[in-house]
Amino acid sequence: MTQSAETTQNKPNNGDLGAQYVADVRQRFPAAVIDEERQTRDQLTITVKLEYLPEVVEYLYYKKGGWLPVLFGNDERTIHGNYAIYYALSMEEGEKCWIVVRALVDPARPEFPSVTVKVPAAVWGEREIRDMFGLTPAGIPDARRLVLPDDWPEDLYPLRKDSMDYRQRPAPTTNSETYSFVNDLGDSHNRIIPIGPMHVTSDEPGHFRLFVDGENIVDADYRMFYVHRGMEKTAEVRMGYHEITFLAERVCGICGYAHSIAYANTIENALDIKVPPRAQWIRTLLLESERLHSHLLNLGLVCHFSGFDSGFQQFFRVREKSMTIAEMLTGSRKTYGLNLIGGIRRDILETARKNTIALLNEMEAEVITLIDMLVNTTNFEQRTKGVGILDRKVARDYSPVGPMVRGSGFKRDVRLDHPYAAYASVPVTAFSFDSGDIAARVMVRVKEFFDSTAQCRYILDNMPTGPVLTEDFAYKPYKYALGHTEAPRGEDVHWSMTGNNQKVFRWRCRAATYANWPVLRYALQGNTVSDAALIIGSLDPCYSCTDRVTLVDVKKRKVTTVPYKDFERYGIERKRSPLAK
Amino acid sequence: MLKLLKIVKDAGEVTIKYPFAPANFTPAFRGKPEYNPAQCIACSACAVACPANALTVETDLEKGTLTWQFFVGRCIYCGRCEEVCPTRAIVLSQNFELAVFNKEDLYERATFKLCHCLECGRPFAPQKQIDYALALTAQAGAGADEMETLKIQFAICPECKRRNHLNDHLSTLCDLQTSGEK
Repeated sequence: MTQSAETTQNKPNNGDLGAQYVADVRQRFPAAVIDEERQTRDQLTITVKLEYLPEVVEYLYYKKGGWLPVLFGNDERTIHGNYAIYYALSMEEGEKCWIVVRALVDPARPEFPSVTVKVPAAVWGEREIRDMFGLTPAGIPDARRLVLPDDWPEDLYPLRKDSMDYRQRPAPTTNSETYSFVNDLGDSHNRIIPIGPMHVTSDEPGHFRLFVDGENIVDADYRMFYVHRGMEKTAEVRMGYHEITFLAERVCGICGYAHSIAYANTIENALDIKVPPRAQWIRTLLLESERLHSHLLNLGLVCHFSGFDSGFQQFFRVREKSMTIAEMLTGSRKTYGLNLIGGIRRDILETARKNTIALLNEMEAEVITLIDMLVNTTNFEQRTKGVGILDRKVARDYSPVGPMVRGSGFKRDVRLDHPYAAYASVPVTAFSFDSGDIAARVMVRVKEFFDSTAQCRYILDNMPTGPVLTEDFAYKPYKYALGHTEAPRGEDVHWSMTGNNQKVFRWRCRAATYANWPVLRYALQGNTVSDAALIIGSLDPCYSCTDRVTLVDVKKRKVTTVPYKDFERYGIERKRSPLAK
Repeated sequence: MLKLLKIVKDAGEVTIKYPFAPANFTPAFRGKPEYNPAQCIACSACAVACPANALTVETDLEKGTLTWQFFVGRCIYCGRCEEVCPTRAIVLSQNFELAVFNKEDLYERATFKLCHCLECGRPFAPQKQIDYALALTAQAGAGADEMETLKIQFAICPECKRRNHLNDHLSTLCDLQTSGEK
């Protein structure tokens, strides 16, 4: 496991970025680009002819060092008569900036050429565009539904502006599950282990289906969105601009603040709002304090899933200090309710500042001992080294984020690539390991924890003075831009377009784990059933996703359902396999 | 293993005796909003600001009342209400023990009388809001005579006011025209 770290005291570059990429696209595809519009100095949107879309995205992705964090549709029929689809590419080799490739889709022919064929990272986004807008990605290899449930009518597309009122529900169209799970690497002789989706102790359902040969996972497939909350629709039909900052916090119970900032950034970028420096620094501080508690949570869970519950208890005990820091700085244990468009609502007082530094020091000292204890536990190394490997090539194709991609040798981190808040003035380090296994992901989190404490201290010592909120701006209709934050699990990327009725026209919110799910399949392949819980846990989804296991033995035509407790117990003890029954 | 045992020993007892001993808070902690109806002028600013719709107001034109309602079950303790309240009628406390046996106990309501327009008789604004505006004007140094006139003016709904002004304006115009013709 080789480690490398990249620190940038980011050099300020005040020129506009990205023009070269557009020039390159124009040269490579002379007839493709119809229009070009700049949102911020590092965000450019180019409108291309629909038929060129896959080639242009592929060119920017593979030839120009782009990654594809988010793509989405937008019902712009009321503005210019067409639907629009957006592919936001984060350019990370050479000049770092965002190039958003946009194409228009004629409502009379609701179809567009699929990019997934050329860039696999587009798969979930395109499936979602089909579900939400009824625009068919022609040629997509995986044409199953993604977001909508099986009993949702065929011709009702929730995010279309003329869709059914959001307060109503259509009548269910079927009583049975119609979703088919894929098993490409195995055959019908594999046993099937479905995990999930529902359990009384879980608040987040997800269904995992493992295709196994004996104890070995041959292939895996899964399905999410059992509790799709329709937040994007709620935001555009029911909420005002400021209210969405509070809604965005509820996207995640752990990295909510990152979402709130990402949303606020979209509007601030779109309307060119100058957020006061002190507010930016405090935002940065809170984002980092969020990382502290989230990484400690995951380190605790790694202990738990590798059968080391005493370690879990100790990490959670120390994590409580980071919750106290959040409570002191924001008034809520979960950094909630502090953010508004244009800045933040409350300043940090001197006593809170001093107490925070004291707590940071205590916490750091304790975590040093805990990590020392953890890495010297033999069982821990044995459970994490070489397990759940995410191949570098797969990572490049699917644009995963956060510790997941950094554990596979890529130093992707929007704090360095596209500095937001005060990250241009605060020393940040991106750590990466190239072994791609669970151990690498754990070590990324360990390194980042200490880097975050250092950042918090730096911020508390060097924070500029001044106001923390500006209200000196006016909303203009149909302005749009991206916003992004590096949440503990990877980058959250949001996109908003302002509307003409004091509401957003469209808010696209892409949480970090959304980008990581598609690669999980590859991390699971070739591992054993007893490692499955640990591998899924190393992705750091909000964990309650796996709950109940059904074992299907295709050879014996036998179906066994095992309670999640038993599955988890097996992951921890690795004795008395539930498969042996 | 020894390292773990040492950590456990050094950590000692970390739990507190809650509920038999008080829970620990930092002074910044935001708990349940406490409402003081005597201080409230029923301006509805809080209901507009509340992102979670925990605060709502409903007018009943037949009864001539406005009912303010707070449902703590929806509250996200953001404190926007406290921020926008002009009279500090709602302030976030540190109370976090919110469990109740009846759902109904999660609601708090206050009903305010609406002021009926002196001219058309239609209810148009909470009486307390008008009283508050009058008190502010008196505070700003309006004389007793002026206050008497204002009292009447403030109790006329915006529509009647507009019509009155328009009528005044029209009659002035007519006067001007007739004087011009002479």
